[in-house]
Amino acid sequence: MTQTGILSEGARRVWRYQRVLWWMFLVNFILASCSALPLSARLARVLGNRLGMQELGSRFNVAAFLELSSNPDAAFWAGSTGSMLWALMFLLFVLFLTGGILEAYRTPRKLRTGEFFQSCGTFFWRWVRLLLLFVIVLLPVLILAYKISDWSLSLSDESPQEKLGFWVQMVGLVIVLFLMMAVRLWFDMAQVRAVANEERVMWRTLFRAFRQTFGNFGSLFWMYFRISFLAWVSLAVALWLWVKIPGGRFGLSSLLLELVLLWWIGTRLWQRASETVWFERHQEVVPAPLPAPEPEPEPPVPTAAPAL
Amino acid sequence: MRSGSMGSLALAIVISLPAMLAGQAANVTATFSSTPLSQRVVAYQIAARVDTQKMTIEGDETLTYHNLTGQPQDTFPFHLYLNGFQPKATFMREVRRDHPSFEWKEKNRASAEIKSLQVAGIGDLTSQIRFVAFDDGNTDDQTVFQVKLPHPIAAGDSVQFKIAFHDRLGEVFARTGYRRDFILGAQWFPKVGVWWQGAWNCHQFHSDTEFFADFGTFDVSLTLPRNEVVGASGVEVSSVDNPDGTKTETFHGEDIHDFAWTAEPEYHVFEDTFQGSMGPVKIRLLMQPAHVDQAARHMRILLETMKRFDQWYGPYPYRQLTVVDPPNGALRAGGMEYPTLITGDTTWWMPEGFRFVELALEHEFGHQYWYGMVATNEFENAWLDEGINSYTEVKVLADILGQDRSVLDLWGGTAGDAAFQRNGYLGSTDKDPLSRFAYQYVDSSSYGDITYGKTATVLLTLEKVVGEDTMRRALHVYFMRYRFTHPTQEDFLKTLEEVSGQNLRWYFDQAVYGTQILDYEILKAASDRTDWYLQKPPQEKKGETLYHTTVVVHRKGDFVFPVEVLIKFDNGDSVTEHWDGRDRWVRYSYDKKAKLVSAEVDPGGGVWLDKDFFNNSYVAKEEDSGARTKLVGYWRIFVQFLALWFSWLA
Repeated sequence: MTQTGILSEGARRVWRYQRVLWWMFLVNFILASCSALPLSARLARVLGNRLGMQELGSRFNVAAFLELSSNPDAAFWAGSTGSMLWALMFLLFVLFLTGGILEAYRTPRKLRTGEFFQSCGTFFWRWVRLLLLFVIVLLPVLILAYKISDWSLSLSDESPQEKLGFWVQMVGLVIVLFLMMAVRLWFDMAQVRAVANEERVMWRTLFRAFRQTFGNFGSLFWMYFRISFLAWVSLAVALWLWVKIPGGRFGLSSLLLELVLLWWIGTRLWQRASETVWFERHQEVVPAPLPAPEPEPEPPVPTAAPAL
Repeated sequence: MRSGSMGSLALAIVISLPAMLAGQAANVTATFSSTPLSQRVVAYQIAARVDTQKMTIEGDETLTYHNLTGQPQDTFPFHLYLNGFQPKATFMREVRRDHPSFEWKEKNRASAEIKSLQVAGIGDLTSQIRFVAFDDGNTDDQTVFQVKLPHPIAAGDSVQFKIAFHDRLGEVFARTGYRRDFILGAQWFPKVGVWWQGAWNCHQFHSDTEFFADFGTFDVSLTLPRNEVVGASGVEVSSVDNPDGTKTETFHGEDIHDFAWTAEPEYHVFEDTFQGSMGPVKIRLLMQPAHVDQAARHMRILLETMKRFDQWYGPYPYRQLTVVDPPNGALRAGGMEYPTLITGDTTWWMPEGFRFVELALEHEFGHQYWYGMVATNEFENAWLDEGINSYTEVKVLADILGQDRSVLDLWGGTAGDAAFQRNGYLGSTDKDPLSRFAYQYVDSSSYGDITYGKTATVLLTLEKVVGEDTMRRALHVYFMRYRFTHPTQEDFLKTLEEVSGQNLRWYFDQAVYGTQILDYEILKAASDRTDWYLQKPPQEKKGETLYHTTVVVHRKGDFVFPVEVLIKFDNGDSVTEHWDGRDRWVRYSYDKKAKLVSAEVDPGGGVWLDKDFFNNSYVAKEEDSGARTKLVGYWRIFVQFLALWFSWLA
């Protein structure tokens, strides 16, 4: 199957299971809304029943925002930690959902809700173990990112070529992003493999996925990268449009950014689905998907009581 | 030639050098005036040889001091500012005090050493040099020395000091020094103190102070490699190539109180002319190669700024303005002013909507007036130059770029300078008064917030009392009256009172000499029907039901300031009350067949000093101006994106 074929099949599977997309978007929206509630209450105390801050409503006056954010009653930044926790809850949610999503994408028929969540629960702790391994593997990449950033800052200050630091940062960013995507792809394939083969020992799964991923790196990465590229380009276009929207049209701005969020969730699911399709096409033996559930036995027909 | 002849020749050259310099300058004027604009207390003639490899300067200075103090003088204090860049110096001690994580780097060390000090007609007094530290008693601080003459110089007489000095420049830490092959020579020569208000005024160099010196003439020759592009205060008189591969550039300045210079081989030079009311002013712009595409932007703001200063406050009398663009890594030399030379501040990426270039250049040019010509004491009255300049910066930039966009107009975000200055003030509202000596502020943050931000905010608020036009006239009178002198803060305040025709002491006592906070709030505002006591009152009918409306305005802060209060009713009526603010609160009551819609303190705006704008108003029906929805909405969206990025880990 060609790359395009894999991508289109992946998209088809995402479309078939679009309920997952909408649920993820909804949970994302609800969790973030919860994080904003305390801020809303504090701002109501400061701005409610007040005339001020029209310049924040009709446009974004930075000085007015700075004044508001430093107002002790508004305590604008007080909710940062709480918001971070709400955001982490979404991580846990997605971690939980991943098992069911991958099982759904590899199964030709539509999973029942019970089956979906059964897969979610089955694989959750395996994903937690994988997550820890992921963070450990990512650490050197993050250290590299930090070192490059430090070096570029130093060059910006020290080098007679003033832009050198900027270009070093840009090149470094490309390298770091590439490494991060490669690592993510490796672990994605490990998850696909674990679900497909019902594997329990994650480090072994990881090792096998490493061989498979980097043995077919070109085609896999190209598949992964194109979807990521679409996601980033769409964000860039959305931001370009966003700055053109008048400051007072928050509804329109909000709608635009929510569409981007929806698209980003969709592209991530598209990657998962495409990885699943690729794995199917490149396995020697494709393990059987979940068997169809047996039909429930019909209840016995009541017979007439024997005559006395 | 015999050595004796060589020695005589050398002596002859040394003795005649000042005359040579003066002779060269005799045909060049640095101002448009044929007569001196100031009392030329000092005449500096300096021959300096700059070693751009070792970053040292060998200097021979002849300082002719005219004793216009009105009394005999036998003790003369001098500044040696470069000695402030040493770890035990007061300057560095204060940096460490305010920034405990600051670490000393040896590359920032600088020094100024007096090799010999001779006084014409008296002899060698090198051994009489004594370092003094009257501000803080720090015996390790060598930024001020005194020399006592064996006999006093009579009032009206002159004394000539011949000082041989050796400078070692450090990598730029604050304003002066080098970075790679860029050099900014500021505060680089021994500078005599100022006799001011009956005493010598010659403070040590502190981390939060700038400079104070007498007006006079400067004839300076700089010898450095031929490939250096040089800029300096005053005007260039000559440039002579020397046989050893160096060149000597000579500059002449008149009616200025300091001399700074810069050199770098990579400068790109741009020139333009401002047609001032006294004559055409040459603008010489020295740009870094990475910033040449910003040259037009620099010139544009300079020309617009100079036009307004010329029209609003007074003429610029100097024939040239040199503008220096420091390189990356040397931005600490940027954003600074010297007579007829200023330094800007930019990087290779500076979008048009981010007005940092405009802010820096307008501000530094403004200092040509407030500091350069109206030469206030920056040690003791820093607000008179930084603060007045910040106020005029607000006015000039608003006129050029728009009131609400003069600082930022980028990607939907806007900011005006008045609000920006006020934000600065809000960072340190109650710690230090404007009138405090610069080096006695509680810390450098307070110094910055108060001298710049609070002063601008105080003067903007004063417009509410006397009017914007009166403020402009007052600054014009202040400039014209006190240019080329050293006025005090009382001189400025009295000028404001004189031009406005009002007694403003009540304002100055609080705003300048005090730390009172200005904060008014609508404490209560409500309408209640007058028949509230009836068991079964009739149904409310708009326009028929009688209401008793009460509005209470409270003065939260200690600053007493008259304010307006605008009260609106739902039948379209409105009432404007005027409150003198003397009591702690005031209650306004109305009986009307209409309900309260809103109550607002300072409805027209202008009381910029009010610490909290949020409590200045009340509306009966909560109307979301959109601000809250927007802020909460964007916070939510931000958390959504954050959550999505976290989920990438899954």
